[in-house]
Amino acid sequence: MVTEIIKRNGQKVEFDSRKIRNAIFKANIRIAKEKMSDDDLDKLTRRVVNRFDLFAGTPTVEQVQDVVEEVLIEADYAKTAKVYILYRAEHEKMRNMDADLVKIYEDLSFKPSEDADLKRENANINADSAMGTMLKYGSEGAKSFYDHYVIPFEITEAHARGDIHIHDKDFYTLTETCCQIDLIKLFNNGFSTGHGYLREPNDIRSYAALACIAIQANQNEMHGGQSVPNFDYSMAKGVDKTYRKEFYKALSQYFTVKSDIPYEEVEDIIKELKIKIGAVESMDDIDGYIAKITEYFAGLSGSITENEAVEACAYAKKTAWRETDKACYQSMEALVHNLNTMNSRAGAQVPFSSLNYGTDTSEQGRMVIRNLLLATEAGLGDGETPIFPVQIFKVKEGINYNPEDKNYDLFKLAMRVSAKRLFPNFSFLDAPFNLQYYKEGDYNSEVSYMGCRTRVMGNSYDKEREVTCGRGNLSFTSINLPRIGLEAQGDLEKFYKILDERMEMVEEQLLHRFKIQSTKKVYNYPFLMGQGVWIDSEKLDKDDSVAEVLKHGTLSIGFIGLAETLKALTGKHHGESEESYKLGYEIISYMRKKLDDLSEETGLNWSLLATPAEGLSGRFIRIDKKRFGIIEGVTDREYYTNSFHIPVYYPISAYKKIQKEAPFHALTNAGHISYVELDGDTCKNIDAFESIIRCMKEAGIGYGSVNHPVDRDPVCGYNGIIDEVCPRCGRHDGEGIPLSKLQELKKKYHDVPDYSSLIS
Amino acid sequence: MANVENKEIIIGEGKKFERIRRITGYLVGTTDRWNDAKRAEERDRVKHTLNK
Repeated sequence: MVTEIIKRNGQKVEFDSRKIRNAIFKANIRIAKEKMSDDDLDKLTRRVVNRFDLFAGTPTVEQVQDVVEEVLIEADYAKTAKVYILYRAEHEKMRNMDADLVKIYEDLSFKPSEDADLKRENANINADSAMGTMLKYGSEGAKSFYDHYVIPFEITEAHARGDIHIHDKDFYTLTETCCQIDLIKLFNNGFSTGHGYLREPNDIRSYAALACIAIQANQNEMHGGQSVPNFDYSMAKGVDKTYRKEFYKALSQYFTVKSDIPYEEVEDIIKELKIKIGAVESMDDIDGYIAKITEYFAGLSGSITENEAVEACAYAKKTAWRETDKACYQSMEALVHNLNTMNSRAGAQVPFSSLNYGTDTSEQGRMVIRNLLLATEAGLGDGETPIFPVQIFKVKEGINYNPEDKNYDLFKLAMRVSAKRLFPNFSFLDAPFNLQYYKEGDYNSEVSYMGCRTRVMGNSYDKEREVTCGRGNLSFTSINLPRIGLEAQGDLEKFYKILDERMEMVEEQLLHRFKIQSTKKVYNYPFLMGQGVWIDSEKLDKDDSVAEVLKHGTLSIGFIGLAETLKALTGKHHGESEESYKLGYEIISYMRKKLDDLSEETGLNWSLLATPAEGLSGRFIRIDKKRFGIIEGVTDREYYTNSFHIPVYYPISAYKKIQKEAPFHALTNAGHISYVELDGDTCKNIDAFESIIRCMKEAGIGYGSVNHPVDRDPVCGYNGIIDEVCPRCGRHDGEGIPLSKLQELKKKYHDVPDYSSLIS
Repeated sequence: MANVENKEIIIGEGKKFERIRRITGYLVGTTDRWNDAKRAEERDRVKHTLNK
């Protein structure tokens, strides 16, 4: 029996068979196929150990490793054996400093963002700050580790080569992308973020504050965005709770002041009243309740007459509504400020938050929507445009789209605010691929979009649960489509053959990552799973595996640069040629069908994504330029066009662009968006804005956004379009102006910043 | 930020205009933090006309 082993440094140490088992496990985990069970691992380990029974003397580490290789090959684990062998060789390499990683760390530490494109990979992070830099250290280190030790070789190579791009690679073994958070479910009976219990909120202000906390808590357990699919519905209950309080407060005030009854006595009267006839439930039944109050006081021979009661109630009803509306506005204002400024995600960025709303037609829901929009319109402290949360107004015929619809006024307000503040964006529940799930009044059936465009609705894993809440994307990987266009050299058959290969590789990679994600337990997600945010996680215990519930999420394959792909294949992109357009539609349909078939076959949610592509827009083309050279319309720019979009540089009318892009929304079930760039001061042309939104709805767009220049002069507070000179104060960029002039302007415009502290 | 010149306080020297633009779905207050590729794309963006 072997009891000792000689290490590389010559030292004799105790022989530990667990190290052999571990090494085999680590080699096996890097293979997507050829999975070993615990039993297999034990057997193989024993076999290795037994080989040394008749060994003379003490074996070296190298000799043991030789035997491991032999045993693996004999047992027919050829792929694992190969990994093990290469792992040995690589480990040798890694024993020296990884020079690449050190160089990256050097750049991160010492170059300002301006000079290092690497530091500007994510515009939302200030990589010049300490926390931002630390985040990048962790991110780059993790990516390097996964490349060398976790991800299968061919896949690491394919990613490095630029055939594919694994998004959020730094989080590969850690978590999933995003989640659609049902606040109603979360707030019910309160929740905990790991430190102390937060009871069910009792006031609209607390509702809004807790919404921020929930988004932040979830954000720190996932690497992607956090959305609330039912923001209006979930805040509505808070409105009523505040209304209730304000009603009794106003009633008491009236009796104390008007009827001149001492406060303590009033308190007792109200208490008695509540015992006898119950309390206000909601603003909906306030008239009925008031009738009961009047009847009550009429039958009482106390210090309050029936007449006084009637007047008191009228006052209380009016006041309660007004005060509740005010409180609602303040809560929305605080929420926007919070989500815009709290760097609560890894200490270096604000959470990527999105709010969906627009379809709650209740008085309470409408109050929330209206106030959120008004607070957004007013802006931050100095009138600046808030960057978060991303807001999405859900357009729906019969609810808010037409003048006769109950929430039409809110639709109009949403457009007015969007024209000034670029949010909300607009999603369309009537798009056929969204409408199929819709049930009126059921927010769980209303498609919700992440701010980034991710969409999770259909459910091949469980056809009974094609719902919004508690679901999200597990991970996504994009394919370099233009490159395939270039490699195909005009041969369509070759194009599809390569496309097949790339897609199959990505499918393998997504499954590999999912395999690792499935090893996690509930305790790895104290909030997301521990508090029941993810669908069905409330049925699990702390030590349970999350493998099954994760299957409700999506595995997505993305793409960029359809325009450049078509240019490479046909010489024209899909904006300039009908023929190219048909081919483009055919290609994307092909990709979608492949994923639909895979979903059928595996019972998992495979979906096709129009990738957002921030860093990726430059990465693929940079590599392709080096390999293929400069090709007109394909690699002659610094970026690939986003997803299926008509190129940004191509002159086309807003309506044509919308009509051309809409059919692709139907194909990209993992998420999509279309943009329109407008000129001029849109604030003054709301009709044009509305005609664009209506065109989107009629064309079958799922998610759309209108871009227009929003400039601001921080010195005089002007919000609008600024070319060379500020229209309000007349200064140029970087120029100073006299304080006296600003004081003059402040008399005319309320949003000029306050400089009174500078006057001695 | 404030200089005293002939008893007239000057405000805002060096202060640039804020240009809010949308990048891959979210707003950023300045293009300073955008990567090179997205900056290039933003430069190329043409406006879409409103004729049918």
